[in-house]
Amino acid sequence: MLNTILSGAGQMFGYALVAIFIENTILSRALGTSTSLWTIRKKYSILLFGAVLTIITTVTSALAYALQPFIKSLNNSYYVLPLIYVAIISVVYILMLLITNRLKLKQKKTIRIFIHRCAFNCAVLGGLLLSTQANLSLLGFIGFGIGTGIGFTLATALIDFNHDKLHGEHISKAFRGFPAILIYIGILSLAVYGMIGGHELPI
Amino acid sequence: MFKAFYKRNKKFFKKYDSIITNNTVLIEGLVIAPVIVGANTFLNGLILAISFMVITFLTVFISSFIPKSIPYTIRVIMYTLIASLIFIPTAIILDKTFPEQIYKVGIFLPLMVTNSLIVTKSETRFFRESKIHMFLDLLNHTIGFFAVIIIVGAIRETLGNNTFMGNPVNIPFKLSILMLPYGGFVLVGFLSALIHKFNSYLKSPIKKEE
Repeated sequence: MLNTILSGAGQMFGYALVAIFIENTILSRALGTSTSLWTIRKKYSILLFGAVLTIITTVTSALAYALQPFIKSLNNSYYVLPLIYVAIISVVYILMLLITNRLKLKQKKTIRIFIHRCAFNCAVLGGLLLSTQANLSLLGFIGFGIGTGIGFTLATALIDFNHDKLHGEHISKAFRGFPAILIYIGILSLAVYGMIGGHELPI
Repeated sequence: MFKAFYKRNKKFFKKYDSIITNNTVLIEGLVIAPVIVGANTFLNGLILAISFMVITFLTVFISSFIPKSIPYTIRVIMYTLIASLIFIPTAIILDKTFPEQIYKVGIFLPLMVTNSLIVTKSETRFFRESKIHMFLDLLNHTIGFFAVIIIVGAIRETLGNNTFMGNPVNIPFKLSILMLPYGGFVLVGFLSALIHKFNSYLKSPIKKEE
């Protein structure tokens, strides 16, 4: 029993690590880059935004796994996959808003803005599509979902770390801001790529 | 000459030009994932460009008829559901036109249903305009994306793989790194800087010899 629990937790943790470092949503796939830059530009709490995103990616991943038998029974599932996953995300989106309204939270208004921004983010749908493509188990889906949210938060924090410097006077006018940020993310992406070793994304 | 033309029509450029001076990808920073990661060959770029144009254009146009009286949350869900429905025939037609090629762009083709122009820009920009203006603005945004993704795909395939549409191209060097996301980020960063430089030139005062 204990062995099964530990093995399951290990599997989930492993997939979370893959999603955080190797398959990082921003650094490996550029998914959610504009949302990440929006969070930084608006000076919102990266941690809070990341927490909301992680909840959404985790819950949608669990629900998406529950529908895998139905998806696999379809002949051309590739064509209807976005429709099914958008429906799942929509349910989670509405539930999250309803729960937030019921709870007594200090930053309720900000959290509501985050839910609106997170739900149909490419990182959420992208995480689900990657998990499906890799044919993961339930724990794999959940682990990958958790990792997608944490990976987004980590990458956003790394971008935020040098965001102001990349808008500074010492950067040439043509590169100041967005172009310099893209090149900076590119360098971070190369560092992540170096960790893969086999030089091929696992998923 | 172009500078003088730009200065005379500055308002028009500011409002409608999403192809060069306010490019959707290079200046506004929208829908960058397919360009940076998905478009590593010309054909991949073309497939993503066509799907983006069809899905975005039809979704925003159809969604513009959804009444504003419906709550925002439901409206956004409807936009993405419409996009997912439009995705089905688009993907089928693309699969028939470019057999097996659509699977090479991986998750980036289905991801078009939640692109920023549908989810955010439709509410903050397109639906605030009249139908004619929205039509023109939307067309410019999609053409802006189309141009960038095609150029990025062609550059990456030619310099990174020394091929063009699968045919070998004789170039004495090979920058394989351009095929990676890193190459995509850096290339798009440089293209964005180029447009920024061009914008600075347009905004600078006109000298007598010009």
